[in-house]
Amino acid sequence: MQLKRTMVVGLLLATTLILSACAAIAPQSGGEQPAADEKVVLTWAFWGSPAEKESHERVAAAFMEEHPEIEIEFWHQPWNDYFTKLQALWASGDPKVIPDVAFLWPTPRYAAEGVLENLDPFVAASGYDLEAYWPGLLESAKFEGSVYGFPRDIEVNVIYYNKDLFDAAGVAYPADGWTWDDFTAAAEALTQKDANGMTTVYGLAAEGGKWAKWVNQNGGAIFDDYVNPSQCLLAEPAAVGGFEFFAGLMANGVAMRPADLNQAGGDAAVFASGQAAMILQNTSRVSAFNAAGLNYDVAVAPIPAGGKPWNGAGGAAWVMSSGSDNKEAAWTFIEWLQSDGGGETIYTTAGEIFPALQSVANSPAFMTDAAPANKQAILAEAAASGVGGFGYFPEWGELSGSILGPGLDKLWAGEADAATLLPELCAQVDQFLADNGYPK
Amino acid sequence: MTRFPANDSSASARRRWRPDQQWEGYLFLLPSFLGFFVFVVLAVLMSLGISFSVWGLTGFRQWAGLLNYQQLMRDPVFWQAFWNTAFYIVTLVPLQLALGLTMAVGLNQAIRGVLFYRLVYFMPVVTTIVAGAIVFRLLLSTQGAVNVLLATASGFFEVPFSAPNWLGSSQFSKVSVVLLTLWKNTGFTMVVYLAALQGVPRELYDAAHADGASSWQRFRHVTLPLISPTTFFLFIFQMIGAFQLFTEPFVMTEGGPANSSLAVVQYIYLTAFRDIRMDKAAAMAWVLFVFIFAFTLLQNRLQKRWVYYESE
Repeated sequence: MQLKRTMVVGLLLATTLILSACAAIAPQSGGEQPAADEKVVLTWAFWGSPAEKESHERVAAAFMEEHPEIEIEFWHQPWNDYFTKLQALWASGDPKVIPDVAFLWPTPRYAAEGVLENLDPFVAASGYDLEAYWPGLLESAKFEGSVYGFPRDIEVNVIYYNKDLFDAAGVAYPADGWTWDDFTAAAEALTQKDANGMTTVYGLAAEGGKWAKWVNQNGGAIFDDYVNPSQCLLAEPAAVGGFEFFAGLMANGVAMRPADLNQAGGDAAVFASGQAAMILQNTSRVSAFNAAGLNYDVAVAPIPAGGKPWNGAGGAAWVMSSGSDNKEAAWTFIEWLQSDGGGETIYTTAGEIFPALQSVANSPAFMTDAAPANKQAILAEAAASGVGGFGYFPEWGELSGSILGPGLDKLWAGEADAATLLPELCAQVDQFLADNGYPK
Repeated sequence: MTRFPANDSSASARRRWRPDQQWEGYLFLLPSFLGFFVFVVLAVLMSLGISFSVWGLTGFRQWAGLLNYQQLMRDPVFWQAFWNTAFYIVTLVPLQLALGLTMAVGLNQAIRGVLFYRLVYFMPVVTTIVAGAIVFRLLLSTQGAVNVLLATASGFFEVPFSAPNWLGSSQFSKVSVVLLTLWKNTGFTMVVYLAALQGVPRELYDAAHADGASSWQRFRHVTLPLISPTTFFLFIFQMIGAFQLFTEPFVMTEGGPANSSLAVVQYIYLTAFRDIRMDKAAAMAWVLFVFIFAFTLLQNRLQKRWVYYESE
């Protein structure tokens, strides 16, 4: 009988424990009110590898040195978990656990959910210079005309080329202003096959997702309006021409098919191993290639006859939670992060980003002696930045991830040709837009 | 028996509601029931509510009626995922049963090292699926071992051959997912069948043998009917598993190319966490539930025609 009673009490205790564990989170942290002279504590959310985390920590230390009144706490997650966990925090609605400042993409999607703070009033009050950004870049962080975030970096896609492979094939290095025809000729000369007909070196390896560059260079476009679209324009001849160029390189066997590229470990892997003489990629590969001691340089992307250089302006942005309870301090931090001499300079010096601010890109922080030698090519592509790479409406991620991207897979796999696929795909895009109430 | 003298009453007495004697019992259930209630019952009911509302990242916005379900019916990607899942069901369920049974019959013989073979065939079940997927991706890559083997074989028999792109083409991506799933799951089917085979009474075989039944006839008319309850269980179990397929296509092909291997559960996940459309994702989960429930019910009805229970 005694044993039974002990067990019952034990069970009751266990149950209480489980219940209290469920409820404990909020009151615990809610009980502590900061005293007047205490530091303001900001929670700062970002993803990244251990190396990137270290760099973020250096940035926070530098900020806290300049602003001793603010203390930065980290909320760090690996990329795979970051958004799911961040969404769960926002869904909880508890300002004590919601990060004040977060790294985020795509900004309009989250702004539409009402979890981000409109930065327009802070910009107006502080006189923060929006003109310092590369052209078109801030569009990717706007929602309904207002700025909701500041892109930390800008994705600048350039051609990386392996000098050794060019030398071995006797092909001249890319020159500024080279054309699609020049490019095709070089890629063909660089492609090598073994006795069994297996390709050992491809002229080009590029992710399928890089198609927007060719389309826009050729005068094509995805939508008539990137914020409030009413129509898909990818079936227009100029856009189809861009797709045909890209898919044609794959059909001729001089460009690696994206599915094969994926299986081979991605463009960095095939470029480093000499399986591809050129890749089209953003500046994120530089530090790895330099660490590996590759003999490479970069060049502007070739343009079609009658076309123009174009780079899609976009990048993950620093945003402020609308649920933040320290908005003034959060703005101070964001403004410092996105300043020449502040966070932008530290990240750029670390070689982690190509900066969103033009002045930092033109400063010694970026213009170093390290490879690649032709940094002017990166600056030239960045200067050609503009809208056209993606939609700036909340449903873009769904449209791109479920319809557009998978639809184009057939083109990259060689299962369809551009002239027949794109009208069908555009019809699906138009249907999606109509179902979601566009144009609004 | 003497240790339980109180337990002498009839069945009807035992079934009677005696709260004064039973409350401790319920108390023992409480911890697990609370977890079940909060994380299962409540979550299920909430998802039903979410599927009928406009539900954003920050929660409830307004009631939407059937809006999410209507959107779903018009969504071509949902239907593609649906047909992909149907393909997984009609290939995986029969193949898993047939292969599992074949392996079980083979390993039910008195052969040398039978325990070793049983272990080997069961190993994939306890192997991490991601590790398995990495190996399969290597084997099935365009210039991987499978294609090299096929090319060599075709050269030997002088048949024309073009290497299939197992992972990168929309014709073969589903087949790759099926291969990985078969490798992973068939060991489980085998083990369950092995247990069932060992439960078939020896004397029935002896009797059939005495009547002059061939080994095939003994298998067909003794073994198969007697293990039919196991087949029924495995059929339902594997069908639900195929309906809920997620990890295999997720790690193998990410649903691509061109959504050709996307399974419904994977699309639910993407809709909820990539597109932040909890409402549409909840609606999809309920449509999936209705299908699983209907098919299970149907099988339950049909079992009278082919499942043999000894007690009947």
